[in-house]
Amino acid sequence: MFAESSLNVRNKRIQNLFRILFMMMTILLIIPVIIILGTLIAKGGSIISFDFLFTDPTNGMTAGGIFPALLGTIWIVAVALLASVPLGIAAAIYLNEYAGDNWFTRIIQLAIINLAGVPSIVHALFGVGAFVIFFGFGTSILAASLTLAIMTLPVVIVSTRESLRAVPQAFREACWNMGATRWQTIRRVVLPNAVSGILTGIILEVSRTTGETAPIMFTGAAFFLPFLPQSVFDQTMALSLHLFVVATQVPGVPDNLPFGVALVLIAMVLLMNSISIAFRMYLRGKKKW
Amino acid sequence: MQAASVETIENSIPEYAIRTRKLNLWYGTFQALFDVDLNIRNGMITSLIGPSGCGKSTFLRSVNRINERLGYVRINGTIDVLDKNIYDPDVELVQVRKRIGMVFQRPNPLPSSIRENILFGHKLHAGGGKTSKSDQEEIVETSLRQVLLWDKVKDHLNKKATALSLEEQQKLCIARLLPVKPSVLLMDEPCSALDPKGTAAVEELIWELRGEYTILIVTHNMAQARRASEECIFMLMGKVVEHQLTQDLFVTPDKKETADYIEGRYG
Repeated sequence: MFAESSLNVRNKRIQNLFRILFMMMTILLIIPVIIILGTLIAKGGSIISFDFLFTDPTNGMTAGGIFPALLGTIWIVAVALLASVPLGIAAAIYLNEYAGDNWFTRIIQLAIINLAGVPSIVHALFGVGAFVIFFGFGTSILAASLTLAIMTLPVVIVSTRESLRAVPQAFREACWNMGATRWQTIRRVVLPNAVSGILTGIILEVSRTTGETAPIMFTGAAFFLPFLPQSVFDQTMALSLHLFVVATQVPGVPDNLPFGVALVLIAMVLLMNSISIAFRMYLRGKKKW
Repeated sequence: MQAASVETIENSIPEYAIRTRKLNLWYGTFQALFDVDLNIRNGMITSLIGPSGCGKSTFLRSVNRINERLGYVRINGTIDVLDKNIYDPDVELVQVRKRIGMVFQRPNPLPSSIRENILFGHKLHAGGGKTSKSDQEEIVETSLRQVLLWDKVKDHLNKKATALSLEEQQKLCIARLLPVKPSVLLMDEPCSALDPKGTAAVEELIWELRGEYTILIVTHNMAQARRASEECIFMLMGKVVEHQLTQDLFVTPDKKETADYIEGRYG
């Protein structure tokens, strides 16, 4: 009565085939990550030390540490965040909470999507034209950071919007029906419930900004500087560009140096991502609805 | 319906909390309400019954002007709440929402503590002025007592409101309207998400609030209308068919449509 028919056998075989196929593709995915991390640790791990992180490069960048580049990256990312986060969050709040669905917001929407699709080298040239030359910031941390800020703005806007959208509409209704204005609703109910998602988006943006090279190499990052930046109007070294330089532009660099720089860079990004994931899990565990 | 003209306005409390005159409402080109003329008595529980799509919820939602948020809603006629047409241009929406509270089908407490839920409306309308801790405690206690919830939750006011049972959540949603002293409470099928026990408890509460507030309640449940309201309005296809004392409407309806509906011939 309930015996297996030949059709059942065939369907089961096909089902198994796809399961194995998809599983193998998933495994394929993580192989590059393992190889990259493995290679970096194997080849660059030996150079990582306190001195490597906290001293200047010496001997025409063939020896010594990476402190100016490390510091420069932190500078650039921090200033970029200061610019893009308030702007991006404000835009996302406007789009999600105030603006209706009309041609105007749709054009803005389209602009944001296109902004996200612009190649980073184009952003770099825009940065040179706009910030370095037009606004007269020169090649500086400020120009580099603003270029990065514009590049990452879509990420902030989209992720913030997603988190705002995840706040149930019923909460807003409840507020409005008690006579709350839009702003009271946003400040007291929507933002507190969206903050975990917004922060996660920001941290992901940080990790992305950290590794960018093209947008900063014409706008503010220098090959080599004998001094640390004193203000946002100075140039600075940066990890990503430093990696490019020691890997391809300077002769006589010991093998483990570029790998060490890459390892530090990727460690920064991974650290940031891990924090973001941990944070998200913590906040998600706290909210209940 | 008794003639309103015999009652002269002797004191400041009007006899009718809500009066509509020639109220017509369109969603785009679809007309949902036709010449609705209703006088809803102050301090009484009035229920609105009728089959789905008869306009009872639409009517309810135009009494605190939340319909207009949809954008494509057009209204003419007047709705006087406590003798003031709320569609007059000089009416402030925030004040309308403050005086006319609304309870929804699904309880919608805010995702914060019980205490914060109760104080939310109060804080909204209190302006920048700080309310002292003891005043806040008093507001919380009074409101929760009014909805018969105090004894159950007094020991965990800091608990998340969303962790309460649906019945308790619905009571909380009613309680949080009270600190700003509304005159009218609109309830859109307040018990339809609740189990029979919760329904009975919320009905009991609604009955308790009678007198102090004018309550307009939309319900699908005829037994509920019969149990928990003093006057009853039957609507059909956007029109008011009959408005009577509840006991009369269910025993000796004037119109054939009403009789058919309450006997369950359609719905």
